[in-house]
Amino acid sequence: MEEKEINPAESLAIIKTMIDTAKNKLADDGFFIIFWGWLVFIASLINYASVLAGSEYGYYVWPILMPLGGIFSFIYGHYQTKKEKVKTYIDTYLGYSWTAFIIGMFITLFFMPQHGMKITYFFLLLLYGMATLISGGLLNFKPLVIGSLFSFAFAIVSVFVSEREQFLCIAAALLFSYIIPGHLLKSKFKSQVNV
Amino acid sequence: MFKDLDPLLHSQLRLAVISLLVSVKKAEFTYLKEQTKSTAGNLSVQLQKLKEADYIEIEKSFKDNYPQTTCKITKVGIKAFEEYVKNLKQYINQ
Repeated sequence: MEEKEINPAESLAIIKTMIDTAKNKLADDGFFIIFWGWLVFIASLINYASVLAGSEYGYYVWPILMPLGGIFSFIYGHYQTKKEKVKTYIDTYLGYSWTAFIIGMFITLFFMPQHGMKITYFFLLLLYGMATLISGGLLNFKPLVIGSLFSFAFAIVSVFVSEREQFLCIAAALLFSYIIPGHLLKSKFKSQVNV
Repeated sequence: MFKDLDPLLHSQLRLAVISLLVSVKKAEFTYLKEQTKSTAGNLSVQLQKLKEADYIEIEKSFKDNYPQTTCKITKVGIKAFEEYVKNLKQYINQ
């Protein structure tokens, strides 16, 4: 871009092009959605399988896998933030909505011994749905919006099934709300980068 | 009577930079350079002019031992941009 005289029409064209450039940048590559989607999906199925097999040890998959996932996410997130050349408002809003999700999740889990597993999973599924719906809206990404509805639907289903089947509700919710939309988001992000 | 367009914004590169910064929270020098397809030298000069008018803030830091320049629009800058767009409309609609 050189310095030269511009007329009002050219000014308007510059403004439009630059605003569109910033706006159309897809703010998320779906990494965390995919990562946590698969992690919780696998943990749910391991727990379900162990309950089916009559073992109580399946539960330990949560206190082992989740903190490991948390540590990995923290390191990866830190590294990614350093690499970012631009910080959009959407990045900030996404950060707030997922922070709200994490706080809500910890509070829900903290009271699990008092309220029991059943209601806890119900609330966790609602939180999954809320966080993905907000993210889908912010990113203007339909698959995530539609996917979030599955979490709400499976939250309702989870009320009517046994604790054992609740693990399947979680796995199914993760598959439709996180894993599938997450991979679609990733491929959209990649195609954008390659343009 | 048409109002004069802010000469500071009525320049191809400075207008492009401000339009980008209006849309994002903050952006690195390299990002601005890539998006505006400008040269580092010219961009530096124009950023400095915008900074002197308090339209943008420039933050210099280090990332992995490399100097890093991050730019952010100020309230003064947003107001100037809005005013510029408002005045621009008069010319477009004439």
